[in-house]
Amino acid sequence: MPAATVVEAVDLHRIYESASGFTHALRGVSLTVAQGEFLAIMGPSGSGKSTLMNLLGCLDTPTRGRYLLEGVDVAAYREDELAEIRATRLGFVFQSFNLLPRATVLRNVVLPLIYTACPRKEREQRARAALRSVSIDERLFDHRSNELSGGQMQRVAIARALVNNPALILADEPTGNLDTATGDMVLDTFKRLRDQGKTIVLITHEPEVAAHADRVIHIRDGRRYDDAPYAGVPTVGDPRASAPAAGVLAANGPGVSTLHAPVPGDSRAKGGARP
Amino acid sequence: MRFGDLLYETWHALSANKGRSLLTILGIVIGIAAVIAMTSLIGGIQNMLIGELGLAQARQVSISVNAMEPVDFDDVEHLAKGMPDYEILTGSGMTSVETTLADGTKSYAQIVAVKPDFFAANGSKVAEGRFFTAGEEAAAARLALVDQSSVKELFGNADVEAVGKTLHLGNDDFTIVGVIESSSLMSYGVTVYLPYTTAETRVGGMYGVSQIIGFAREGTDMDRLTETTKSYVASYFNVSPEDGVYVYALDSMIKQMESMMASFSLLMGAVASISLFVGGIGIMNMMLTNVTERIREIGLRKSLGARRRDITKQFLLESIMLCVAGGVFGILFGFLAAWGLGGVIGMVQAGMTVTPVLAPGVVALAVGVCVLIGVVFGYYPARRAAKLDPVESLRYQ
Repeated sequence: MPAATVVEAVDLHRIYESASGFTHALRGVSLTVAQGEFLAIMGPSGSGKSTLMNLLGCLDTPTRGRYLLEGVDVAAYREDELAEIRATRLGFVFQSFNLLPRATVLRNVVLPLIYTACPRKEREQRARAALRSVSIDERLFDHRSNELSGGQMQRVAIARALVNNPALILADEPTGNLDTATGDMVLDTFKRLRDQGKTIVLITHEPEVAAHADRVIHIRDGRRYDDAPYAGVPTVGDPRASAPAAGVLAANGPGVSTLHAPVPGDSRAKGGARP
Repeated sequence: MRFGDLLYETWHALSANKGRSLLTILGIVIGIAAVIAMTSLIGGIQNMLIGELGLAQARQVSISVNAMEPVDFDDVEHLAKGMPDYEILTGSGMTSVETTLADGTKSYAQIVAVKPDFFAANGSKVAEGRFFTAGEEAAAARLALVDQSSVKELFGNADVEAVGKTLHLGNDDFTIVGVIESSSLMSYGVTVYLPYTTAETRVGGMYGVSQIIGFAREGTDMDRLTETTKSYVASYFNVSPEDGVYVYALDSMIKQMESMMASFSLLMGAVASISLFVGGIGIMNMMLTNVTERIREIGLRKSLGARRRDITKQFLLESIMLCVAGGVFGILFGFLAAWGLGGVIGMVQAGMTVTPVLAPGVVALAVGVCVLIGVVFGYYPARRAAKLDPVESLRYQ
């Protein structure tokens, strides 16, 4: 069954300019994410995975490269056009939840909809439905979000990411501030959403977290070096210990060559043209 | 973004910082309160004066002449014929005579010697009893009218039934037939109104009619009437119009007072605008702090799809709401202060009641000024918030 492609990124580059010079944070990353896929992007800090997430989340535009979200090239969009995309097609889940502490749970989930054309009557209904889908108890809807536990907060944040029915949910270290058990609950929530057909991209530096995804890609020094179904955490004596290595080899074959030889004409210089 | 959502967000943001918001708007509160207190107090004083003097008083003109001979009522009659713009032209003579007060002390009573039409020209009203008639005047009847404050001086109590009582003036006795409502503005000592002929023949010491009083016909241009009266009276008595005749219309006094009040208001406005300017800077300062403190929230909102103008509107509305809240408090405090000051005036000047007036136009202007301050001093912080980079603001600690 050929699922629709949600994300098609080709040869993304991002160069930051600062007083100390240029930083080449992303050096040509290409990736596709199919509809209904739960993808993990893994890499150590400084690898460029956050830069990649910012580009995928339309919070930033690539210096060079093409980014098609649902077939629409948004790489050259201006700031307000990107805001429109974020409002209607994207959902974010952050490591530190980023809920408005004094607002109620319900208001936090309604919040993205005030930046859309969603009719007022519909908003609350959608927010309630989103909260129920992440198993938040009705009784908590009118509580302030700072009265919740960490796991509850992150699930509310997931509901907020869901409420505008986005094409893509981006989760940046969503379990980073949670203990393992709570983190697993949050990850189970993502998996359940995946089963309902949601497309999720999770950014993490923990292999144990990435293990929950259908597919993992690895980023290091601004480049991809791996794209393989995750085979589990290798432990000494585990018969599967050699599996990731095989994956790396497989990916390093054709994958690397495409990275170094991008399709001609696909790469566009964008430097200096940012609005 | 809908306006209702903006209001909701603004309200939540401001109520999260009640203490700081209140401190910040203090400058605005003081500025607006000063303006409101002054304008409503001045409005109240003007109303009181108009009520006190009576609108009809605007048609009153008083004329004094530096003539060689004492002016008599024949002269007044001649003048009345020559100046048909006056509905009434009459006069009063002045003298004084010794009388005994309630506490037994001797005091000089001010005698105003008049013909009956004086009361109409002067706008006097009887509180009790009646005026005397032309016949009684001609017959030099020993009748007198006193004003209310004199009743207290003469009989020890303002509530005493004065009509019918006997008043000793010099060596003669007079019967009080009426009590005149006294103006609370200028009332001290004993003032007695006697028929002109009575005063002339039984009291004496008068130098004719010392003041001619005119009451203009309705719709007369008072400024013009003052001028024509001056030249006509001057030529009648053959004196210089510059220093021989003094014509004074109450209307011009009211106008003069109004212009004085206006310049006072202008001064207060200048002081208030300084306070408002400083208040506005306070608002800007708080809004800049606010933006810095909420960088992560701004980043979040941007990641959720807020556009630059959504952020601008949100912060701009916050500063406008702050200023308008300051304005509303200012209007309340200002009006209360005006009541307080009105009460103080009432205590200092007994019988004077000033009721502050809050004009809707002034309220609208005050609110408008507050909105303007909110926009002017909130724009820069709001733009700064709107221009924040979403990635950096989400990362901001």
